[in-house]
Amino acid sequence: MLKGLFDLKRWTALIEVIPENYIPGFLMTLRTALAGLLLALILGVIFGLMSTSHNKILRAISRVYVEFFQNTPLALQVVFYYSCLPILLGGTGFRMPKFILGMMGVGIYHGAYISEVIRTGIEAVPRGQSEAAQSQGFSYLQTMAWIIFPQTLKIILPPLANQALNLVKNTSALALVAGMDLMYYTDSWATSRGYFAQAYFFSALLYFIMCYPLARLARYLEIKAIRQPVAKASLRKEIEEAVS
Amino acid sequence: MKIKRLSALVLAGMMVFSLSACGGSGDSGTSASGEDTSVQDIVDRGVMKVGVKADVPKFSLQDTATGEYVGFEDDLAYEIAGEIFGVTADEAKEQGLVEFQAVNAKTRGPLVENGELDCVIATFTITDERKETYNFSPAYYTDAVGILVNADSGIASIEDLDGKIIGVAQSSTSQEEFNKYIEENGIDVAPSFQEFATYPELAQALAAKQIDAFSVDRAILEGYRNDSNMFLDVRYGFQDYGVCSAKEKTGLAELISTKIQTMLDNGEITALLEKHDISVE
Amino acid sequence: MADFVKIEHLSKNFGDFEALKDIDLTVKEGEKLVIIGPSGSGKSTLIRCMNYLEEPTSGTVTIEGEVLSRKNRRELAKKYSAMVFQQFNLYPHLTVLENLILAPMKLQHVSRKDAVAEAMKCLKRVGLEEKAYMYPNQLSGGQQQRVAIARALCTRQKLILFDEPTSALDPEMVQEVLNVMIELAKDNITMVVVTHEMGFARQVADRVIFLHRGQIIEEGTPEHFFTNPENDRTKEFLSKIIH
Repeated sequence: MLKGLFDLKRWTALIEVIPENYIPGFLMTLRTALAGLLLALILGVIFGLMSTSHNKILRAISRVYVEFFQNTPLALQVVFYYSCLPILLGGTGFRMPKFILGMMGVGIYHGAYISEVIRTGIEAVPRGQSEAAQSQGFSYLQTMAWIIFPQTLKIILPPLANQALNLVKNTSALALVAGMDLMYYTDSWATSRGYFAQAYFFSALLYFIMCYPLARLARYLEIKAIRQPVAKASLRKEIEEAVS
Repeated sequence: MKIKRLSALVLAGMMVFSLSACGGSGDSGTSASGEDTSVQDIVDRGVMKVGVKADVPKFSLQDTATGEYVGFEDDLAYEIAGEIFGVTADEAKEQGLVEFQAVNAKTRGPLVENGELDCVIATFTITDERKETYNFSPAYYTDAVGILVNADSGIASIEDLDGKIIGVAQSSTSQEEFNKYIEENGIDVAPSFQEFATYPELAQALAAKQIDAFSVDRAILEGYRNDSNMFLDVRYGFQDYGVCSAKEKTGLAELISTKIQTMLDNGEITALLEKHDISVE
Repeated sequence: MADFVKIEHLSKNFGDFEALKDIDLTVKEGEKLVIIGPSGSGKSTLIRCMNYLEEPTSGTVTIEGEVLSRKNRRELAKKYSAMVFQQFNLYPHLTVLENLILAPMKLQHVSRKDAVAEAMKCLKRVGLEEKAYMYPNQLSGGQQQRVAIARALCTRQKLILFDEPTSALDPEMVQEVLNVMIELAKDNITMVVVTHEMGFARQVADRVIFLHRGQIIEEGTPEHFFTNPENDRTKEFLSKIIH
């Protein structure tokens, strides 16, 4: 209700709980998102490369990974890591730190998406590029590093930034298993005090602070990708020196 | 760039509005002249909207086959509806004068506040803090906090909980009550607490040994007792359940309070509790 | 002249399709060999077997006494051969100069300064010195192909394979590329060229082979080939292509 929204007492109550609730929650979310993004990128590169390899088994493994994690909800995956994985690992009360749990949750989930982004990025580079590289004597890894990946990068950076943005938001799935993240503290305070508008508005603001720069970055990269590059001044200098 | 910033502001403003006004259908409960019409609104609508639990045995459990809500709190809803519509509770039930909606700890507050529900009868504990936000009826039941642990955990008493993780429900008072109890009794234990949104999640976390103890109201815990877990023999944190309605709907709150008080006085509450096999503390 | 490339009993199948059937062919050092034939005759497959872009189904390709295999294909490509493609296949994310110096620097470990100097010499040979700092998509098709030739030159390989280098070009750009190739032919580089440009073949080739359905059915000097072909298929093909 609007009356509750403009109630100064409720806003004061919010400010009081910022240090003990929102700050630790924000930091946990940020930490989880950064580690999760790193994991997602590593998995994405590995499985993305596997899905473009000539080896059928590697391709199949990558396919299974991508399809499984793209087609099941993140919330379910997180609950699985929390409740079922320890039982599978012996059930002797093994507990994963919430930070690791969150990193695994969003990392593995978004790794599948990033793998697809990288696969399509690599496939968008014409076959002739790797043939030219091979005809010059570049090895597979050299070809990837100097010829295919730099071209892929331009294509995949904007969708990657979008993945990072979604990853930040999806850390909120951790709240399901008392993840001590921003969403967890938000729910906790909101439900115990009943000041929902204040609780969720401030939480939204904190998520916005994390996500908005990523959205801008995605847009910037999109524009940059279609722009004609210009050679560096140092290159022109080098040419002039060589010619003279 | 200026326009972009402005549009971001407008967006943020819209978010605030939609957050605060979610539900939207809420009638203010007051007429133009400022008189409270909350009871008349329900009569005009022909049905009372009540939020109840769907997963608390004996208190309010939804029959998954028929969708019907069965329990003490559901019967209480029919009693109140009978009072509003001037019929008996049985008639209210037969005529379908109550529309139930399942709520949980997270949803019950906002749903009452934004007018989506007329009242909530959902093992809602009366606290001073909450009284600032909502109206509560006199307590219709007094429950205690219970602690459920895994049978093979080796935890036999509250003293064994030092350094352990206790799972509690969001918006519950279990943590405060626990701390109050150990302080009053000079028990030197320091467990940590983790909050979960739903009871099934808590039960699952206990079964998976991700938490050492599951502590919520005993009425709720009863529903999750099985062969592999057990209650700790300790009773504390007596708390009162009340019928919750929106702060500004004074007419409705008064009617509910009077009805509950009458039922408490004439023994109808006790009879209803016995009917549902709920022990009286 | 010594045998530089020796092809023995080379066959290549794509599924049920036999692209090459039991080919035997040698290319001598410094020789300019032109391969002609109708489309689908296996010309491109043959030339692509010479640097292992295609893996032979059976038979061997030997370069300077070393048998090409999956294992040593990169080593041998690095050591002996370069290729010019129909679609140019320049690296679009690199400037012209960077296209040229990548392989010398990364594979032959030439210093950047030397690589740049060599690259500028090669660009001068193809007449595109002033385009060094441009990106490939800023050049015309003919210019791109000339850059591709310069790229093949600047690793100083003994063997350059040309796979239909003018087929993807607009007609007005064909000659500028051919001129560069004719100029190149004056050197002691071994050139194997798949092409439909008969004028070029006549002017430059030491030997012409005609491929039909995966087999070499005619082979000889350009004089023999264009004035007095023996095989009916060759005659038919030449009559269609030379007006």
